Amino acid sequence: MTVFRFLIGTLTCLATVQAAAAPRLPSDDAEILERLSLVRDSPESAALRQLRARVAAAPTDPAPAAALARRYFGLAMAQGDPRFVGYAQAVLRPWDEALAPADILLVRAMLRQYRHDFDGALRALALALERDRNNAEGRAWRAAIFMVRAEYGKAAGECAALAALSDDLLAAGCSAYVEATTGRTRAAYDRLRAALEQHADADMGVRLWVQTRLAEMADRLGDAAAAENHFRAALALGIDDNFLLAAYADFLLEQGRQREVVALLEDRGRSDTLLLRLALAMHELGMPEAAKQARVLAERFAAAALRGDRLHLAEEARYLLELRRDAGAALAAAAENWKSQREPRDALILLRAARAARAPAAAAPVLDWLARTGFEHDGMRRLAAELR
Amino acid sequence: MKAVVLFLALAFAGGPALAHKPSDSYLRVRVEGALLRGQWDIALRDLEYAIGLDADGDGAITWGEVRAREADIAAYAFARLALSADGQPCGAESRRLLVDEHSDGAYAVLEFEARCAAAPQRTLRFDYSLFADLDPTHRGLLQVQQGAATASGVLGPDHPRLELAVGTVSRLRQFLDYAREGVWHIWIGIDHALFLVSLLLPAVLVYGARAWEPAPRFAPAFWDVFRIVTAFTVAHSITLSLAALGVVALPSRLVESVIALSVMLAALNNLRPWVLGRRWAVAFGFGLVHGFGFASVLADLGLPREALLVSLVGFNVGVEAGQLAIVGAFLPAAFLARRRWAYRRLAFAGGSVAIALLAAAWLVERAFDLKLL
Repeated sequence: MTVFRFLIGTLTCLATVQAAAAPRLPSDDAEILERLSLVRDSPESAALRQLRARVAAAPTDPAPAAALARRYFGLAMAQGDPRFVGYAQAVLRPWDEALAPADILLVRAMLRQYRHDFDGALRALALALERDRNNAEGRAWRAAIFMVRAEYGKAAGECAALAALSDDLLAAGCSAYVEATTGRTRAAYDRLRAALEQHADADMGVRLWVQTRLAEMADRLGDAAAAENHFRAALALGIDDNFLLAAYADFLLEQGRQREVVALLEDRGRSDTLLLRLALAMHELGMPEAAKQARVLAERFAAAALRGDRLHLAEEARYLLELRRDAGAALAAAAENWKSQREPRDALILLRAARAARAPAAAAPVLDWLARTGFEHDGMRRLAAELR
Repeated sequence: MKAVVLFLALAFAGGPALAHKPSDSYLRVRVEGALLRGQWDIALRDLEYAIGLDADGDGAITWGEVRAREADIAAYAFARLALSADGQPCGAESRRLLVDEHSDGAYAVLEFEARCAAAPQRTLRFDYSLFADLDPTHRGLLQVQQGAATASGVLGPDHPRLELAVGTVSRLRQFLDYAREGVWHIWIGIDHALFLVSLLLPAVLVYGARAWEPAPRFAPAFWDVFRIVTAFTVAHSITLSLAALGVVALPSRLVESVIALSVMLAALNNLRPWVLGRRWAVAFGFGLVHGFGFASVLADLGLPREALLVSLVGFNVGVEAGQLAIVGAFLPAAFLARRRWAYRRLAFAGGSVAIALLAAAWLVERAFDLKLL
């Protein structure tokens, strides 16, 4: 009887297929379980070893500790691995806030803002600037945090203080970023572009950031070709940068160039922000791997929720909206996110979630923000018009 | 150099800060009287940073490199975890080192046992300091299971101690907990429900002259259902008990596949009957397999040794209650509707086709480990 033959065939297959997703005992010693982001013989590892040795030799000396913590922080930025932020925090732990030197406080503020503790970061920065009024870095950080909190007047004040300290690309970028977010995109773009040409010898990291921001501004001005050029110029600098890849991937997704996103991010799934973009591109292309990537994302959000982290609400909102099609949950996440984070991308996801959930009232804070700032973005303005 | 960090900073502040998952370990403990059985998953990347696993420095951690450090890993980990029951320490001992994947990479899995002086009556305390010196953002995600009850908590450098109330749960409470799990399983275990429905659908009809006709009276339909449900119940109670007590064990994929097959055959039998009068016998035969399916749920819940019988009977009673609820809702409605076109063509024929198709898809999925639906 065919049913029985089928059953026997099934049983034979069962015997050969191993159960997955459970603790297992590997059979091969050579099996590679994990690939590390740092190889022991790399210059980066050597530099870290050296700094660690200096810290160990003089645990109370702030200079090597701040340098090591800074190095870890740079790694967290480049690779998107929050573990390095934890390591940096451990290095700075011996210093009491009230007594710490400016440099320690500065790095501590960076680490705090990374964990979205903006109040704590501003406290540390205020103390650092008390100790060293002319600290350009402290000014720039304060500007960055005020931007995230949509406090544009205060951000502009910090940029002005920064410009008084130096007239480099940094100060120009600072004020152009504020200007572009408050409704004068064209003027900001032109000025920043000119500043970049004047400072062709500026630090690579600075140029990367400026190119990325120019790309975003050009995109908002409707000049996709210019945006593409800026993104390519930034990528050509050859610096590993999570933020640049995320911004470029968003641009490509909007342009309907999902295949390029897959090629760009295929090996970058370790980072949640990039995994989200990869999963979106695969989903839009109807690729079977999309489901798996979405599952991994869901697991990471679940794990974050277990530990009580709420750092990634904007990404989670986008995941809920576009991959899970759960507009209600997406709106809740986007609204929660807006309470602490008020950058343009945070505004966009709240508008989109509110429209999908047919809850225009929930979009009111962003509509206010749009009216107040005069932020120029055609897509967002259209969405806002629909929601009004 | 300063400027680099600075501008990256401007780009990042409040931006997509969270990229990889931060460092977490997963600590699961099951209370079995005075014995605590645990599993502790620790990321290989964290262990690399703490004690160094990559012996040859090539940036890849192999199983051989992990295995060679088994004793060091266990010593490092268990020096940073203390368990105690009602104030008395429970010495933890590593049993086995395995590996597993979580969403952010590979983990070492330490299976361990901790023996307490006596079964915890009031509290179980965890003192946790893993990676506390290296990474203040590290967390230990704790899950403690006692019988059908689960408690969870988060440990970390900022809150290194957690006390969970445990203790002797009343027998009645335990019975009710497991009964609730049984009902819940019937409710979400749609394959069992559909098997039952497939067998019940023809109960209000009779097969004559190569076609299904409405049954003339309620009583025969009722007794037909009674026989089927009883046979199914008796059969799965037998295998559930045998499997739960560890007398018989079958591979779960085999069980799940045969369950899918049973649903498919039961639905097909409605469309082209080859078993008519003795559907109770079919219910009994496949009921034996469904029992193994229930047993795997029970195994996930864990059976407390000290209250084995209470839990087993509780779970079984829950399953029966869930079944009876389905039958009670189904039979009167089906009997009233049995003459209608909607019942015979739509619910009976259409429903059977739909169930058969769904079950066929499950069968392929479970047998070949595919994802179709």
